[in-house]
Amino acid sequence: MEIVVCVRPVPEAETRLRVAPNGQTLDADGVKFVLAGYDESAVEQALLLKEAVAGSTVHVVACGPAPRTEEVLRASLALGCDRATWVEAPAEFAADSIRAAGAIAAVVRSPLPDLLLCGKQGGDDESGLFSGALGEHLGLPDLNYVTDLRWDAGTSRFRFQRATEAGAERWEAPAPLVVGLQQAWNDPRTAKLPNILKSRKATVAKVHADPSVPPGAGQPEKFELPAPRTGAKLIEYKTPEEAAQKLVRILREEAKVLP
Amino acid sequence: MTVLVVAERTGGRLAAASLDAIAVGISLAGTTAAVVGFAAGPGARESASDLGQYGLARVLVADDPSLEGAPPCAGAASVAAAADRVGADTILIGGTTYGRDLVARLAVKWKASAANGVTEVTPADGALRIRRPVFGGRATETRTLAGPRRVLSVRPHAFPPPPSAPASPTVEPLARPEDPAPLLGPKRTGVEATAAGLGPSLGDASIVVSGGRGVRTAENFHLVEELAAALGAAVGASRAVTDAGWRPGSFQVGQTGRSVSPQLYIAVGISGAIQHLVGMVSSRVIVAINSDASAPIFRVADYGIVGDLFQIVPALTAEIRRVRSA
Amino acid sequence: MPDFSLTPEQESLRDLARKFARTEMAPHAAECDRAARFPDEIYRKAYDLGLMNLNVPAEYGGSGLALFEQCLIVEELAYACGGMTTSVIANCLALEPIILGGSPEQKERFLKPFCAQYQFASFCLTEPSGGSDAGALRTLARREGDQYVLNGEKCFITNAPHASLYTVFATVDPSLRHRGITAFVVPRSTPGVTPGKDEEKMGHRASSTSTVRFEDVRVPVRDRLGADGEGFALAMRTLDQTRTPIGALATGIAQAALDHAAAYSLKRHSFGKPISEHQAIQIRLANMVQAVHAARLLTWHAAWAIDRGQRGTLESSIAKCFASDSALQVADEAIQTFGGYGYMKEYPVEKLLRDAKLTQIYEGANEIQRSVMARELLRAYA
Ligand SMILES: Cc1cc2nc3c(=O)[nH]c(=O)nc-3n(C[C@H](O)[C@H](O)[C@H](O)COP(=O)(O)OP(=O)(O)OC[C@H]3O[C@@H](n4cnc5c(N)ncnc54)[C@H](O)[C@@H]3O)c2cc1C
Ligand SMILES: Cc1cc2nc3c(=O)[nH]c(=O)nc-3n(C[C@H](O)[C@H](O)[C@H](O)COP(=O)(O)OP(=O)(O)OC[C@H]3O[C@@H](n4cnc5c(N)ncnc54)[C@H](O)[C@@H]3O)c2cc1C
Repeated sequence: MEIVVCVRPVPEAETRLRVAPNGQTLDADGVKFVLAGYDESAVEQALLLKEAVAGSTVHVVACGPAPRTEEVLRASLALGCDRATWVEAPAEFAADSIRAAGAIAAVVRSPLPDLLLCGKQGGDDESGLFSGALGEHLGLPDLNYVTDLRWDAGTSRFRFQRATEAGAERWEAPAPLVVGLQQAWNDPRTAKLPNILKSRKATVAKVHADPSVPPGAGQPEKFELPAPRTGAKLIEYKTPEEAAQKLVRILREEAKVLP
Repeated sequence: MTVLVVAERTGGRLAAASLDAIAVGISLAGTTAAVVGFAAGPGARESASDLGQYGLARVLVADDPSLEGAPPCAGAASVAAAADRVGADTILIGGTTYGRDLVARLAVKWKASAANGVTEVTPADGALRIRRPVFGGRATETRTLAGPRRVLSVRPHAFPPPPSAPASPTVEPLARPEDPAPLLGPKRTGVEATAAGLGPSLGDASIVVSGGRGVRTAENFHLVEELAAALGAAVGASRAVTDAGWRPGSFQVGQTGRSVSPQLYIAVGISGAIQHLVGMVSSRVIVAINSDASAPIFRVADYGIVGDLFQIVPALTAEIRRVRSA
Repeated sequence: MPDFSLTPEQESLRDLARKFARTEMAPHAAECDRAARFPDEIYRKAYDLGLMNLNVPAEYGGSGLALFEQCLIVEELAYACGGMTTSVIANCLALEPIILGGSPEQKERFLKPFCAQYQFASFCLTEPSGGSDAGALRTLARREGDQYVLNGEKCFITNAPHASLYTVFATVDPSLRHRGITAFVVPRSTPGVTPGKDEEKMGHRASSTSTVRFEDVRVPVRDRLGADGEGFALAMRTLDQTRTPIGALATGIAQAALDHAAAYSLKRHSFGKPISEHQAIQIRLANMVQAVHAARLLTWHAAWAIDRGQRGTLESSIAKCFASDSALQVADEAIQTFGGYGYMKEYPVEKLLRDAKLTQIYEGANEIQRSVMARELLRAYA
């Protein structure tokens, strides 16, 4: 089975967010970029399938600027992906998931793989636009919020679940297919030290993103951090009953979140 | 400006998220007359009359049986055709898993600027200016969607519901346009309401009550569940709880669990680790109940009770029941 | 221009260690400390990820890292738990004599099968009668044909109860003092080898330490490292390699203490403001951060010098001694910053003080490091 997994560098979870001097975006200066948690699940899923279906290969693809994009590709190689392609593009280009999906579609179109995997949304902008856009660009069906994807060789179908508002939906689908993964239903592996060393020496194929791919996610205008919460207003009380009464009154009358 | 609102049906009703989309559509267009409804799949005709409850006068219906159990992407061509038929420049959808996926497809298919999960939309010189939380609610971005077309999904609970204005809309059937066949390949074969789904589901609920390690045992967790039941809330948990197996992983809120943004989030015996916070900080009002006044949860909470949850929570449940029955 | 930035490779190794330390080690550090539990399951994961036999060349199944990279990893691990780190890196100490002094045949025979599985080795130098004066050790290696017969007792041996392999320093003739010392590789399965019971320790309680008795233990000549009398030099060359990571271990503990103290000082209020706004606290934090930075840079410098092929005796002694003294000082200041809470076991800083203390003692007590420094220094003036 030929599997493509699309990943993207995002600021690591502990990053202290700051606004860029132009006020429009996150200030990326000094920020450490890593594989998004959702993407880790996608890579893990690709590797599980590869282990389950003999003769599979996993090709990891990412669109974005140096050095962060190359770094997440190498991290994916260290986890066990077989080859990597870096679709080089400026940060603004790659930040538009629709555009990034178009640039990646151009690279993976022929020959079409059996499965294209990605995270359910970017760990940063949470746009949730990538998998659908990639599917549309390639003329393939896409399903997002997927967990527990398996290949049923008997029926030549993928079987999986989707976590939706209705609960856990069961699905089946033939290849080729685009799938967005819900994070952490699988327990993503950690790259081993020798594989990290090997991944540093591996080749990462590099192509330039086609600049004619049109944007689709609009123009960033402003990036704001919430006014720091000043800390909770603590309720003073003598008995638990008094605390409960005061809280309920506040929630109804002041916060207006209870009828 | 002409808006097409895509209706979604769950449990025999219009999804709550669709109401958000209607509300935004009406406020953007300035009049219900410029808001056209669209409903597809099973129950589309019922959806059409439900849309009429909010004053929509025209609804396009694609009650194509092949859409039963089909993936969200299979409906994109119909939505685009509907938008073209009514001359819409804006498509609005509720920000559910279905809506978000459809937005992504339509962005490419209908050549529109797109955004998911918006919490504010305002016209800006012929374009739309949208705001949406990013980084798990730790920041907000504002973007302008220029160009003649845009497609948006609306973050659940971010807008007050549209006023009721019953009308009986004209219903126009729409044949599903030709689309590359593989879109109908994937089939839904079943649904299981998850444990969390017995009450309101975590993602959908306007109130969430979550318990943490402070609850101490699996048995004690019923305290959290009773408070949730009294409030009609969904139940969540920290990873300490799901790791310990007190409740299944589907309850987990946070970085490796679900992100929620209800109107009210009550954290019981949860310290407020960053990985938990990213999943709930965008809630509108946060209440923390914790015996440790220095717990980080109090820094993000709006209201706090420093105290023993084993005393506070039962008292709170009783008080809620009392005011509800009054 | 000297360059203090890390290469992408070094960063990814550090990230691996950081992730492992924070997700696998840190959550269990307090519990293992309290119960003096040797967390086998965590050590096994460390092995699986390649974090255990860092110094063994890759051709023999180790990770084959230079000292600088080892130090990056050790600091991250120690940030989460000093005791677990001691046990994770003890193989490096135990195997270094084979790496430095073993013949190609011995390396093939010992290192390869050892590294192919999760297991521990221990470095057996210290004896009940003395550690600092290694030249005076008493474990006797009597030659009988193509065998040696070992008799004696070692003490304070890290991981000894769990080890499957020991590198043992014994003397072929006590009257020769350090010129009689000879090194051997002794599998645990050899008759007459008996590790003692776990010692009850002040800190590093997730690690395990015990005596090892050798009673008529027969070791074939082919398991001797180098020749008779070369053991002392081999032990010293080994410690020249492994001392620097102890500087990194101490730096990790100090960094953790600083982080706890700084974060707490912003939260804790007294006299109507966060204590971080009192100048006395600010000065303390400023002193702590100086110590941490200096410890790290001295450690990096020693590792860099050794990786360039220098012997690095002076540099590594400076690094180990300064970093360990700093760790104790910074941990102490962290407790002071926490006030009464710092003294409570419920808070993480008192453990740091107990863990920091060991770094001044093992792998050459700091008194010995200072006498080494003085010797190396004065040599330049003599
Ligand atoms: C990679 C990674 C991903 C993670 N993802 C998530 C995630 O998605 N979601 C998540 O939640 N966590 C996640 N975590 C775990 C997270 O770091 C915390 O360990 C976890 O959130 C702690 O849960 P807790 O607040 O319930 O427990 P604790 O931190 O132990 O807090 C328990 C709290 O209960 C209070 N308490 C105790 N007794 C009482 C009482 N009688 N009355 C009132 N209060 C009491 C205590 O004061 C304390 O504040 C993740 C961690 C990692 C490393
Ligand atoms: C937890 C732990 C783990 C250990 N792991 C190992 C291990 O795996 N393998 C191993 O072989 N050993 C190990 N050791 C032993 C450790 O290396 C010794 O404890 C250390 O070398 C000091 O030796 P000693 O305890 O015999 O003290 P002594 O040598 O008796 O010294 C006592 C004091 O006198 C000072 N002193 C001694 N000589 C001089 C001098 N010439 N000038 C000035 N001061 C002097 C010392 O610095 C010390 O302060 C471990 C120890 C501990 C506590």
